[in-house]
Amino acid sequence: MLSEKKKIYIVDDDESVCRALKTLLMTFDFEVKTFNSAKSFFDAVPNDEPGCLVLDIHMPGLDGWATQKKIIDSGSKRSVIFISAEKQDNAADRALKVGAVGFLQKPVDGQTLVDLINVASKNTNDTIVHLKK
Amino acid sequence: MKQTKKIKAPLLTKITRSNLEEQVRQQTDELKIRSGQLKQGVDRERLGADREKLAEEKFRQQTDELKIRSGQLKQGVDRERLGADREKQGADREKLGADREKLAEEQIHIRTKAMEFTLDGIFIIDAKKPNFPIIYANPSFHSLTGYTKNEVIGKNYFNLYGSNTDLRVVEEIKQSMRQEKSFHGEMLNFRKNGKKFWSSLRIAPVRDTNGAVTHYVGIQTDTTLMKQRNLEIEEQREDLLHVTRVGKLAEFVSSLAHEISQPLTAILSYAQAAQRMFAGREPQLQEILQYIINDDQRATEVIRRLRLLLKKSKPTFEPLDINVLINETVMLIMTHITVRKKVIKFELDSKLPFIHCDRIQLQQVLLNLISNSLEAMDESSDSCELLIRTLRKDTDTIMVEVKDSGCGIPAENMKKLFAHFFTSKIDGLGMGLSISRSIVEAHGGRLEAKNNPDRGATFYFTIPVNRKNAPTDL
Repeated sequence: MLSEKKKIYIVDDDESVCRALKTLLMTFDFEVKTFNSAKSFFDAVPNDEPGCLVLDIHMPGLDGWATQKKIIDSGSKRSVIFISAEKQDNAADRALKVGAVGFLQKPVDGQTLVDLINVASKNTNDTIVHLKK
Repeated sequence: MKQTKKIKAPLLTKITRSNLEEQVRQQTDELKIRSGQLKQGVDRERLGADREKLAEEKFRQQTDELKIRSGQLKQGVDRERLGADREKQGADREKLGADREKLAEEQIHIRTKAMEFTLDGIFIIDAKKPNFPIIYANPSFHSLTGYTKNEVIGKNYFNLYGSNTDLRVVEEIKQSMRQEKSFHGEMLNFRKNGKKFWSSLRIAPVRDTNGAVTHYVGIQTDTTLMKQRNLEIEEQREDLLHVTRVGKLAEFVSSLAHEISQPLTAILSYAQAAQRMFAGREPQLQEILQYIINDDQRATEVIRRLRLLLKKSKPTFEPLDINVLINETVMLIMTHITVRKKVIKFELDSKLPFIHCDRIQLQQVLLNLISNSLEAMDESSDSCELLIRTLRKDTDTIMVEVKDSGCGIPAENMKKLFAHFFTSKIDGLGMGLSISRSIVEAHGGRLEAKNNPDRGATFYFTIPVNRKNAPTDL
C-alpha cells in the first residue's frame, strides 16, 4: 500500500512552512519528505527517484529558479511546483516557461496545491507515454 | 614701502628716549638698504637721476613720518635736515609734482571708466546727509534695477527696494549702516517693473582720514542664474530622496509581507490539515478551524493590498553615459561631502559605451554607496578620500567602483551585508544595500563588496553593455 502513495518533496528554507505543508499533504495521502535547502534535497534524492517537487523560490544558496535549472540540466523529468511568499507579477509565466507545472503564491490553499500536484503527475505520465511513442 | 613702515613702526615703541634719534637713523638706513635703491657709503650728492632722487625723497618722507609717529623727536632737528634736502631737490620736485598730477588724473580716469564698465552694479551713498541719498550709480546698477539716473540720484537708497523685498534684510542693512559696519548678504530684489531677481549685495563704509564715515559704497551682483541652478539641484536632490524614501518603504513592506506570509502559510496549512483530519466529526472544532482559515485569508488580503499600494513604478530604461550620471549624482551631495571635510576623486574611463538603465534607480544605487562610504569614513579624521572609478571589465560589461578609506567591513558582517534589515548603523533600516543590489540585478549586473588590502572597503557593481531591456521577471 505504502509504495502506491505518490511521493512529494518539499524544499523550503522555512522550517515551519515545511512542517505545515507536510502535515497538510499527508492528509491527502501523499508520502512527503521535506528539505531546508536545495543542496540537502539533491544529496538525499536521486534524479531518477519519482516524486513531485514543491519548491520555494527565495532561498539562500541555490534558489528555486537555479534548482529547477539544475534539475532540467541533469536530464531529470521531475515535476516542479514553485511556491513563494514574495509577490512576483509574472512568476507564474516564468514558471511555465522554465518547464515547471505551475506557481502558487503563499499562503497556499491545500486543495489548489493538491490539484496542481495531480496535474503534475498526469503530465509526467503523459510525457513518459509521449517519449515512449 | 608702506609695508616696511608697518613692520617697523611697532619696533619704535621699544626704543628708549636717550638713544631714540640714533635708532631712528638706523631704521632709516635699514629702509634704504631694504629698498635696494641706496647703498651705505654712497654720497647722496652723487645721486643724479630723477628716479633716484624720487626714491630719496620718499625715504626722507618715510623717515620723517617714522619720526613724527614716534613723537619723540624734536621738530628742530627734522626741519634742519629737511631744509637742506629740499634745497637740493627743489627743481626735481616741481617736475615730480607735474608728473604726479598727470598720473593721478590718469588713475582717476581709469578707475571711473572701470566703474562704468563693470558688470556689477555699483552705487555710492552720501552718509553725511540725513536721508542717505545716492550720489552715484554706475550703468550696470541702472540696468540691474531698471531705474534711470534721474530716478536714482539724490533718492534714498532704501526707497529703491520694491515693497515686497524681505524687510528683515533691509532692516539688517540699515542696522549695519547705523553701526557703521559693512554688510554682505543675498536678497530677493525687484526691478522697477516688478520683476524679481536675486542679488548678492555688499555695502561698505568709506571713511575719511579721521575715521569718520562719509559715504557708503555698494556692489550689487545679479545671482538669479546661480540661485536657479542651486534650486534645481536642490529639487533634484529632493526628488531623489523622495524616490529613495518611497523605494525604501516599498522594499520594507515587501520584506515584511514576505516574513509574515511564511507563518500565514504554515497556519493555513495546519488549519486545513486539521479540517481534513476531523472531516465529518467535531463540528465545533471544524467551525473554529474555519475561522482560523478565514482570518488567515483576511491577513493575506491586507498584505496583498499593501503590496499593491506600494507597487514600485516600472523602471524606464534609457541609454546613459555612466560617467555623466556619476557626476550628476555627486553634484547632488557635494555639500554633504564638503561639510564632512572629505575629498572625492574620480578615475572615469572616458571611452565607456552607453548603458541601458533607469536613471533614478541607478542614481539611488550610487547615492547609497557614496553615503555609506562617507559614513564609514566619519569615525576617523585622517581617512577622507573617496574614489569613484569606472572601467570596462570586459567587452560586454562596465564596472563602477566606490572605494573608501574608512573603517572597512568586519568579516562577520560580510555575508549579511546585502540581506534585508541587516544594518551596522544605529539608526539604519538595513534596506539600502539590499535595494541597491536588487536594482543592479534588475539591470542584469552584480553588486559586490570587498575590503581593501590597506584600509577601507570597495563596493563595485557591473552593468552589461548591450542590453536593451532588463529581464522584467527579476
